[in-house]
Amino acid sequence: MWESVWLEWFFDPIIHWLVRTPLSEFVMGYRWVWPISESLHFCALTVLAGTVGLFDLRILGLAKGISPRTLHSTLRWGFVGFGVSLLTGVMFISGQPDQYFYNNAFKLKVVFLFLMGANAALFYWREFACVRELGPHDDAPTSTKWVAGASLFFLAAVMLCGRMLTFFRPPYG
Amino acid sequence: MMSVFANIEHTWLSVWVRESPSLLAFPFILYLHTLGLAMLAGVNVGLDIWLLSARDHVPAVRRGVYQVMWLGFGINAVSGLALLAAYPAKALTNWVFFTKLGLIAVAMWVLEVQKRELVAADRGGATVVNDRLRRLAMLSIALWGATVFAGRFLAYTHSILLASEGF
Repeated sequence: MWESVWLEWFFDPIIHWLVRTPLSEFVMGYRWVWPISESLHFCALTVLAGTVGLFDLRILGLAKGISPRTLHSTLRWGFVGFGVSLLTGVMFISGQPDQYFYNNAFKLKVVFLFLMGANAALFYWREFACVRELGPHDDAPTSTKWVAGASLFFLAAVMLCGRMLTFFRPPYG
Repeated sequence: MMSVFANIEHTWLSVWVRESPSLLAFPFILYLHTLGLAMLAGVNVGLDIWLLSARDHVPAVRRGVYQVMWLGFGINAVSGLALLAAYPAKALTNWVFFTKLGLIAVAMWVLEVQKRELVAADRGGATVVNDRLRRLAMLSIALWGATVFAGRFLAYTHSILLASEGF
């Protein structure tokens, strides 16, 4: 009870502001903006999952023959994919903010996105220097494999929460 | 044809996927379809981007990566059939659905051609990624992108949802 009162106090002004923005009007005002944005969101997810996933698979030992350093260069496209996902995600939120702010699947998705980011930061802080030196057929250290495994898990969890958004939506008010 | 769709809609699988309140029914099957997409199209696109960005190196054969992609294909085929069983008329009366299937078939064919080219280049001791491989990579990216668009647009372009409820 108190939790919902606090949430409404916090989120409602943001929701009222968001639905009056030009971006919200653009997203909700044209029939094909939402479907095209959704398609772009999924295309970007495919690029993100593909580049990050392939790199993680190589670290885990499934793509031997490819040097991790050269594969790492493709991650810039993963960042582009993340950027497009973020942009289209902001469009969805601005279009129907109440459907996201009061949605537990969305909250969990944000948590997993932060965990994914923290895991990536851990990789660059502790593991990247070692990975850079690996040859095409070298095995990655066990600690790096744990980070790569966690990356794949968080990616799958983000996708799961994203897919569950529809089924945890609050009633339209 | 509509009576066939209506019969399918009354099977236990169709009813369970469509109407069960369990998150393991429609929601989880939909998630599996997305996971399969990431494993098949995602990893394929990752390989394509790598081929396009590689300058002076031809990769060796990576059987494990192809196994992941085929596992993704299997997950998508099974989850896709379950989703089709839930709403057969919705998909099978929509040309976008057949476009999606056609795009997947061509993308899988390109994947196999690309795989053979990689093996041949590896055996031949090539030192650069050849133009044919780059063109295949670009074609593959375009095909998977179009497949994703077709898949998403299915939800917005159908004219019939359920044959058994009239249309």
